Amino acid sequence: MMNISDAIVFIVDDEAAIRDSLTLMIAQENIAVKAYGSAESFLAACQAERFGCAVIDIRMPGMDGMQLQDALSKRNILMPVIFLTGHGDIPMSVKAMKAGAVDFLTKPVTRERLLNSVRAAIQESEKILQQSANHKDAQSRLAELTDREQDVMMLAIQGYPNKEIARHLGISHRTVEIHKSKIMFKTGATNLLDLARIAHESGLNN
Amino acid sequence: MTQSLKDLSFQALFDVAADAMLLIDATGHVVLANVAAQELLEYPEADICGLDVSALMPLRYRDHHMDFMAAYSRKPEQRAMGSGKVLFALRRDGQEISVDIALSPIHTKEQLFTLVTLYPTDRRRAAEEALRVSEERLRLAKQAAGLGVFDFDANHNVLHWDEKMRELWGAETNESVSYKRFLTAIHPDDRAARLAALDRAIDIAGNGEFNAEYRVTNLHDGSERWVSAIGQMHFEDGHATRLVGVARDITEHKSFEKKMQDHRAETETLFTQQVAAQTVSAIAHELNQPLAAISAYSEVALHVLESDTIYPDNLKRALKGCVEQSQRAGQSLHELLAFLQKGDLVKTRLNINEVVKEALGIAKNNGYGAFNPKLHLDPNIPLVIGNRIQIQKVLVNLLRNAVEAMRGAKMPSSPISITVRTNPEVNMAHVTVQDNGPGLDREIAGRVFEPFFTTKPTGIGMGLAISRALTEANGGQLWLDPDTSNGATFHFTIPFAP
Repeated sequence: MMNISDAIVFIVDDEAAIRDSLTLMIAQENIAVKAYGSAESFLAACQAERFGCAVIDIRMPGMDGMQLQDALSKRNILMPVIFLTGHGDIPMSVKAMKAGAVDFLTKPVTRERLLNSVRAAIQESEKILQQSANHKDAQSRLAELTDREQDVMMLAIQGYPNKEIARHLGISHRTVEIHKSKIMFKTGATNLLDLARIAHESGLNN
Repeated sequence: MTQSLKDLSFQALFDVAADAMLLIDATGHVVLANVAAQELLEYPEADICGLDVSALMPLRYRDHHMDFMAAYSRKPEQRAMGSGKVLFALRRDGQEISVDIALSPIHTKEQLFTLVTLYPTDRRRAAEEALRVSEERLRLAKQAAGLGVFDFDANHNVLHWDEKMRELWGAETNESVSYKRFLTAIHPDDRAARLAALDRAIDIAGNGEFNAEYRVTNLHDGSERWVSAIGQMHFEDGHATRLVGVARDITEHKSFEKKMQDHRAETETLFTQQVAAQTVSAIAHELNQPLAAISAYSEVALHVLESDTIYPDNLKRALKGCVEQSQRAGQSLHELLAFLQKGDLVKTRLNINEVVKEALGIAKNNGYGAFNPKLHLDPNIPLVIGNRIQIQKVLVNLLRNAVEAMRGAKMPSSPISITVRTNPEVNMAHVTVQDNGPGLDREIAGRVFEPFFTTKPTGIGMGLAISRALTEANGGQLWLDPDTSNGATFHFTIPFAP
């Protein structure tokens, strides 16, 4: 479990007063805040896999909020985004949500609304980072398997009994058993269900 | 009389004949050629006499001519005009002319002469053809343009109309149209205007042009058409005697015009609505930003007060933010109102150098101080007269634009030069603000003073429009230097105090 006190909320808005007031507001909840005056300066400072979320103004000189969201996802920066806008433009909000925004808030935003949204986004960030870590972990585990072991695993997680697998691959029942125990050892899976989960997390489907 | 005619020689008649004549001997050589023939064939007399007649025809006919000559000498007989096909004669310059040829054998004791008469057919035919083509062209043009022709003879009170005119008025082909009947067909509302046009045409002092548009009710089918009549009045002894001209059906043109007018009105309404919408949207944005900040600051302050431990620094910062943002919102509103209403302003005698320095301070306080000011002041410049706040505002706006332009181009802390001098041309104080930014392209440069025009996504687009209005309210001018290659340069003038 990650701790909310480790998260950082990034505020990206060209208006100094908005940056300042929102920074105060979030900091009052003992959440770390960093504010940026432009999309470009935020992008330059942004790291992938940072625990936290970004509160981004849609209308900014230079790169605007939507473009920033696009740039983040292109760089594989998996940070939940909350948009701020002067006027609640529905088509724009739909577009933003489709592109993966967590929320779309209209200025002036209440403390309650903003903080709820920020907390939800931080939870989302945790989930994303966890998934990402699981994915990497699963991938590294599966990387140890030989081709033949992979074949056996694919059939095993689909529920085929050893006899079937042996027949299918033209190997002996005993050899299948040896492969399976090696697979379980290398992946650290406790049972077949666990193995199926790891395969799924690594991006191997079916 | 008869006797004297008998005395006329062949030679004399031959010479005066209007038709071109040649006298040919039995060997086919020219013996005589009259003046008309010399002119037609363009030979001087000395050259044509003695010429083989075959030299007067195109090469391709010469063989045929030999056969013809042989047959003719065996049985000479008259050949009248137009009995043969079209023949060609060869002029001295080699040009072929189409001719009709008559032959008259003249028998003398010694030999057979032949009198050849040449009738050029080209000219006659060409003239006839030209007339026919011209009439056809006129007819086609009239038809294509939908023109009717009218001719009013005032002396005899006769109105001549062509088919098209009759069609427009709905008159039968052979019916004579009285002037009264002509007038009855014209729409009552349009009669006065037509009469005025006619009076102008009749005016001897004028140029006699007649030009009127009116509606005509077709007497035949009752339909109403718009007609445009254009004519020329002719005068005799100082009196208008004849009006000739054309009339055209312009009904479709009129309805198109009406449609265009409606369309223009609609576009204008739309534009007005758009401007209004833009104004509201700009004002809304300009107010919403400080409101959003005030709302957040206020909640921060409230939260501080509700907490067990009060952080006075945060409380102070939040309340200060509230005050600043409220001021900012109010100022935006005042500026917009000032632009929309341009109320009375108090003008005082000012040192423009001081105003420039004050404006620099304001720009810095407003967060637009990220530049390196290069001041070129004139300590000896006379005092100006104007509204201090407004002139400051113009300067702050120009500085803010310059800073934003350079910031947008990622050129932090570039120099902005401000020059104060006397403009001798208008005898006013002249202030120049020049940045080192990217400058403006031609299209944008032409529009920067338009209200709501902005290149900044967060801009309201009123800065330069307001600045220009403020400068003008102070009796000066604000303009953009056409040369923007080294950044943008704005100039404004303020009149000197009397």
